[in-house]
Amino acid sequence: MVQINLPQNSKINKGKYFKDKTGSKNIRKVNVYRWDPSTSENPRIDTYEVDMDNCPSKVLDILNKIKNEIDPTLAYRRSCAHGVCGSCAMNMGGKNGLACTKSHSEIKGDIDIYPLPHLKVKKDLIGDLSGLYKQYQSIEPWLKNNSKSKTTEIHQSQEDRAKLDGAYECIMCACCSTSCPSYWWNGDKYLGPAVLLQAYRWIMDSRDEDRKERLQKVADELKLYRCHTILNCTSACPKGLNPAKAIAEIKKMLATT
Amino acid sequence: MENNPLSPHIQIYNWHISSLVSISHRITGIINFFTITMSCLWVSLLLLGETNYEIVKLFLNSFFGKFILIGVIWSFSFQILSEIRHFFMDLGYGFEIKITKITGLIVIIGSFPLTIFFYILGRYLV
Repeated sequence: MVQINLPQNSKINKGKYFKDKTGSKNIRKVNVYRWDPSTSENPRIDTYEVDMDNCPSKVLDILNKIKNEIDPTLAYRRSCAHGVCGSCAMNMGGKNGLACTKSHSEIKGDIDIYPLPHLKVKKDLIGDLSGLYKQYQSIEPWLKNNSKSKTTEIHQSQEDRAKLDGAYECIMCACCSTSCPSYWWNGDKYLGPAVLLQAYRWIMDSRDEDRKERLQKVADELKLYRCHTILNCTSACPKGLNPAKAIAEIKKMLATT
Repeated sequence: MENNPLSPHIQIYNWHISSLVSISHRITGIINFFTITMSCLWVSLLLLGETNYEIVKLFLNSFFGKFILIGVIWSFSFQILSEIRHFFMDLGYGFEIKITKITGLIVIIGSFPLTIFFYILGRYLV
């Protein structure tokens, strides 16, 4: 259901203010969403003054700087720092993206950092993605080939392989799904752009023999057709992929076959 | 996980042209639904005699009535353009970020001259 307002326990309070101690002249204010599961307090926004003269170019560098030099209690996910693992997906400056590939110079004014939208928060910037992973599992993202006798490799032409471009690069960071208003209101039933892009990837795979069943499975009023081409997903994708187009292609396949 | 807070969503997410067109498409759709129903009722009033019809006509010619009328025409103009955009999307075209921005802007900006066009068409030509 559409619930515009946040629940009572999710209302955001004003938090602490960390004044700059380095005496730098090049300061930026960074507002970070904080929530500590060990207390019963509501979430809060902590403000940090960060010395930008000694900070590399990405938003993740700011977070690392805060954690290392200002406030070690800050919690966030990160791993590769090169836009490959998808761990540091979060909402920066009002848009989802990977903290490790987003330059802070692209954000004007104070830098607002929130966890991915409309998720249960585990701590600070860490959202709970288990619902999305369950949906990912539900589309059975593995190759299905029913011939048991065949033991040789399954060939794929270059043209057929090219059909997977723009779908296989997905790193499942959930930037797209959590940017989608349809997914906010119907996230329990609607599969969301990330999972549907993967569904498309397996439907399109020439080596897969389960194409018809796969199509039938997603052909559902709630699972697929909750996409109303809002296109937040495509504009959020840090890998430059186009989940909205993939969803449209699935709809087209269902309409024409 | 029951007591964990929900991260903010619509409160913090930036509006894009595409999302703005999408929500406006929905709102104008609802307005148009009621407009069509109302105009059907208005035509039905003819059956009950001229005076009932005249009352609505008088209202639509007042300042407030004209305001509503033009608003409704805009709602239709927007819906028409947005529907054309959706038509191409259903065919699988126009999903690139740059193109969605351009077509979205055409829908938003184009709805105003189209409103004027329909108004003049209805007022003086038909």
